Amino acid sequence: MTGRMNAPLGRQTRAARSADGNPPNALRSVGSVPPPAPSRPRPWPAVLLVAYPPDWRARYGDELESLVSDLRGGGRKSLPMAFDLFFGAVSAWVTTGRGALMTERSKDTLIGVLWNWVAFAAIAAWFGHDLGIYPTAISAQQVAVLHPAVPDAYNVLQAAGSIGVVATAVAALAFGFDAVRYAARTGQRRLFVLMGMPVLVAAVWLGGLQLLPAGRSAGSLWLAVGWLLLGVAGIAVATQAVVTVVRSAEFGARTWRIGGVAAAAVTAAMVVATGATIVWGIVERLNEAHPGDASGWLIVSAVMAVTTARAIIALLRVRNAPAPAEDPAIA
Amino acid sequence: MEFTEPVVLVLTSLADGPKHGYALAKDIESFAGAKLGPGTLYGALSRLEDRGWIEALPADDRRRPYRITASGAQCLARHLETAQRVATTGLSRLELRPTP
Repeated sequence: MTGRMNAPLGRQTRAARSADGNPPNALRSVGSVPPPAPSRPRPWPAVLLVAYPPDWRARYGDELESLVSDLRGGGRKSLPMAFDLFFGAVSAWVTTGRGALMTERSKDTLIGVLWNWVAFAAIAAWFGHDLGIYPTAISAQQVAVLHPAVPDAYNVLQAAGSIGVVATAVAALAFGFDAVRYAARTGQRRLFVLMGMPVLVAAVWLGGLQLLPAGRSAGSLWLAVGWLLLGVAGIAVATQAVVTVVRSAEFGARTWRIGGVAAAAVTAAMVVATGATIVWGIVERLNEAHPGDASGWLIVSAVMAVTTARAIIALLRVRNAPAPAEDPAIA
Repeated sequence: MEFTEPVVLVLTSLADGPKHGYALAKDIESFAGAKLGPGTLYGALSRLEDRGWIEALPADDRRRPYRITASGAQCLARHLETAQRVATTGLSRLELRPTP
């Protein structure tokens, strides 16, 4: 091995001697020194540096911005660089110790975000269903003409909701995978039961929904309300089952980081969706001559705002938590 | 540490001397034909620095050169030897394969 190492180490020594702040001679032939441009404006992809973890940015931000500027000056296109920076930021949050948001000690934060997200999604779904406007295409067109703010808000809500659902699904896969391995390793069968609880609850509730009698009789109405309340209880039971799994099983550092990114994405989606709902309601009321009862919108907006605020507080708490020990398995 | 392509390219580029980000990008483009984006390049640099396979030198303006460390050179050499064995085996087997 020593013999094999001579060449690279020899080159390294030469390299160290030539470290005068300028590239060594060999590099000049490949145009490694960017053209001097003191007044070059900051290229727009550089704004994506804010997406990087703060301490990562503190260490590499200046250099990276300089590189973006140099590459742009050298003719590199902005859009591919922007995508590359975006995925670089995601990677920095997920794969490096510097971007760690979640650790073993941060279970409470993840669980707090999860509970608030579930409550938020449930109230938003109920409100969307209660409006009775969507999802038919014909009614969407009619509403788009009469109330332009409604489809705008709907589109924003749909986009934010999709981001939240995808982030939740990714985190669920990562945590589920680790939990299954842990349950198999330790022989804890109850974890399998708990993990199956959300699927079971959803299947039973949705299946029962098909069996509910149609009509507007008093009996049907009470049955529908009862089923709705049962659904709320089912959501609570399923969420508690997930929380128990998160508290009981062991998860890798990478899984916690995925949880951190997912929690941040979900919270961002909640902020956007809450804002869209509030703006939509205000615009709707300003445009309507007889706006009618606003209590539903007010209640939903209040619940959305409270759950969003609680999720933000939970995230801020983990950011102030002590830094995690570096995991040697994650490089 | 996983030898991803950007990691190998950065280490290979640094094997003949320290370079800053732009010099790395241009060097890698010249010897590998790969245009590494700034996020990919600095993702590799940060992981390599965390691992102790490269180290930062004093910055020149906002451009900070990096150089490969002894352990980085050792790991690169080991990886390239393995890659060379695989490449040699693959190429020799391809030559043995009957032409369709």
